[in-house]
Amino acid sequence: MRARILAILAYTGAGLTLVVAACVPFFLMGAFSGLVAHAGLHIDATYSGGTIARTIQRNNYRIVVYQPVQPRMLERIEPFVQIVFEPADSLPAHVSDEVDLDGDGRPDVRVSFTVPANASVKLRGDVTALNGKYVSFAHVADESFSRMVVRTGNQIVVRVPLNKDVAGR
Amino acid sequence: MASRSSALVRPAAFRSVGRSVLLTLPIALWSLVMFTPSLRQAGRDSHIGAVVVMLFMTTLFFLMMRTGETYRWRRIFFVALGFLFPFGFIAALVVQRGTMSIPISRMVSGDTPFCFMVTPSIILPAAFARTIIFPGSILPTASNHASIAIMIGLWFALTLVLGKAWCSYACFFGGIEEGFAAIAKRRRLHRFVTKYGHILRLIPWAILVFVVLVSAAIFEPVYCMWLCPFKAVTEFPAVRNVETAIQMGIFVALFIGLVVVLPFLTKKRTQCGFFCPFGAFQSLFNKIHLFEIRFDREKCVDCALCQTSCPTVALSKESIREGKTLLNCMKCGACVDACKKDAAVWHLKGTPVAVKPERARLLFLYGAWAMATMFGGSILANSVATMLHWLPWK
Amino acid sequence: MPALSFSASAGEALVLGLATGPVCLATCGPVVVPWLMVQPQGVRLHSRQLGLFLAARLAGYMVFAAAVWLAAAAIPHAWTGRSWLMGGIELLLAAGLVVYAVGWPHRRCVAAKATSSLVQIGDAPPPQPSGALALGFLTGINLCPPFLVAGVRAAQLPSLSASLLFFLFFFAGTVVWFLPFLSLGLVRRTPAVVTVARMVAVLLACWYGFSGVSILIERAIHG
Repeated sequence: MRARILAILAYTGAGLTLVVAACVPFFLMGAFSGLVAHAGLHIDATYSGGTIARTIQRNNYRIVVYQPVQPRMLERIEPFVQIVFEPADSLPAHVSDEVDLDGDGRPDVRVSFTVPANASVKLRGDVTALNGKYVSFAHVADESFSRMVVRTGNQIVVRVPLNKDVAGR
Repeated sequence: MASRSSALVRPAAFRSVGRSVLLTLPIALWSLVMFTPSLRQAGRDSHIGAVVVMLFMTTLFFLMMRTGETYRWRRIFFVALGFLFPFGFIAALVVQRGTMSIPISRMVSGDTPFCFMVTPSIILPAAFARTIIFPGSILPTASNHASIAIMIGLWFALTLVLGKAWCSYACFFGGIEEGFAAIAKRRRLHRFVTKYGHILRLIPWAILVFVVLVSAAIFEPVYCMWLCPFKAVTEFPAVRNVETAIQMGIFVALFIGLVVVLPFLTKKRTQCGFFCPFGAFQSLFNKIHLFEIRFDREKCVDCALCQTSCPTVALSKESIREGKTLLNCMKCGACVDACKKDAAVWHLKGTPVAVKPERARLLFLYGAWAMATMFGGSILANSVATMLHWLPWK
Repeated sequence: MPALSFSASAGEALVLGLATGPVCLATCGPVVVPWLMVQPQGVRLHSRQLGLFLAARLAGYMVFAAAVWLAAAAIPHAWTGRSWLMGGIELLLAAGLVVYAVGWPHRRCVAAKATSSLVQIGDAPPPQPSGALALGFLTGINLCPPFLVAGVRAAQLPSLSASLLFFLFFFAGTVVWFLPFLSLGLVRRTPAVVTVARMVAVLLACWYGFSGVSILIERAIHG
């Protein structure tokens, strides 16, 4: 009797597996993807740059300043602040802009780069720190996740390292 | 058509052509449904790719039904997938950005397509910090269709059906080493594998625990950044300093060693069986999967042909004595086809062993082949279309 | 810097410890999990081993508490030397993990009997207190950011004993997060489990070794 019940359950399970298989492309895959999409997950700030702090409007473009990203305990990146210049198409050929990163009304860094006419050409830029909280660099493209001047789509992404000693590390 | 074992013990497992065709019909219909969208797309190359793959998958299934064998027909599909997936992937990269290397700008913009192998590494950070430690995007974008939500959803749906059989029917990398393993006529290093196989097959578990712990500690996908051999044939972080140069060196060394040379020498899937942490992770699903391979102890003569034929050392003397495979069995069917006494059989948990094993095999194969057609088949069709597109005389 | 009242600082230390517990877990987990899995099965045994580990970690905390209080004025200098210390600690951790994973003292004993069949890779070695103490101390002086924040706070306290007590409460806050590790004592110790744990310990040793060497090289180059 027990063997019979087990066999019935087994074949029911096997049948359900086939039903599930049939449902995968039409329903199941989309359902599971939707669950993941709505699970409140976000991409790690090392890659995404963190959350937006403020937007500064210029004449034809805007500068989006992000919250500082502090690496977790054993993360191997320097702390940094991401700045995005967009839209890249509307930027002047040469950009040299002083940006207030911490919202205190005083500029913290000067960002300079030349926007190449050909979008596929590698970008390089300079960042000059105007106070001790940030780290300057020159002629950098994509050195690391903490210091870069790169074009992604219609944006120029700049990441400025924070001075570790001041940032509390 | 008769198989090699027909003269020995195999009963009337060979079907007539008519019955084989009947049993193949559901798969033929499924293929048609799966590839109709491709047939509706513009582009002759896509149409040809779809038709070729539909015929390919249907024919292989027919041969499985006709001969009663699984492994060698599944292997043809799997090797094709293993070689054509990187081809199609690299072709797309070359068109998109002219290089296989991923610049940081693409990682920052969330354009990195998500790969299943990183799934175990992202679980703990996602669970505790709601953070995905992968430079992709949660939702699909114009430049990244393989978003995290889509790929995780696909992985989970396929795993519900396949379990660990993922490694035999869905993984688009395993076929590479299966191909190299098939080339050599003779096994070398056989004694080494036999003597140390019980330790070697534990390495994937150690690597799994290691990557899960360290990825959670440093919030970096450690396997992707340091240990994945298949970076050598897909995409890899651009070499820009000493660290990335070391990473690239490791990827190439692992690929040549584990995916090309060792499979050729041992005729085993050495990367899959002795290294891959995702395979170890998928093995956990064997605990709940309904289908398995068992051994009829009354028929078994302990010839160990099954053990020799197993590509991932998923059998030991002790497990065969108990009538079972080990947890890392990927249900490729090699042992069943190799067994001359029909002692190795497909089995549906909850039913008596070796009673109507062909029914269990059919029930398993319908699900597995349907998923293989849907997923691997679409990759194959895409790659065939790409090949046709790049033909020099066009 | 104004001195903090003890009650306020004790409460702050406890909360800081509780809040940074997950960070401690991330740091210590990779060391503790494989090391505990190599030990024989048993919750009581694991409690003892974990207790020794935590006691040694507390000792590390006390050493640091004393050091920061005594060197309060020299903290800026301590920052620049931190990388050397971190690199050195990681190399020591790597060595410790290899020693206890491979079961060096255990092998010495069985090698004396000169019978290869006795050296079973899957066997759990007898529990070694020195392993708990060494690994616990090394993770205890690992200078993570919350640890340093606690250090800065402790340095503001009026006396050495207050600094030590501050770190005691900080430690207490973090200990809660280690209790789940006791459940590892319930996991059945098959030869396969012990072998995997040893392999994990060796892999982690490679990781810490590489990380330690990278830190030291970077420090040597950039100063």
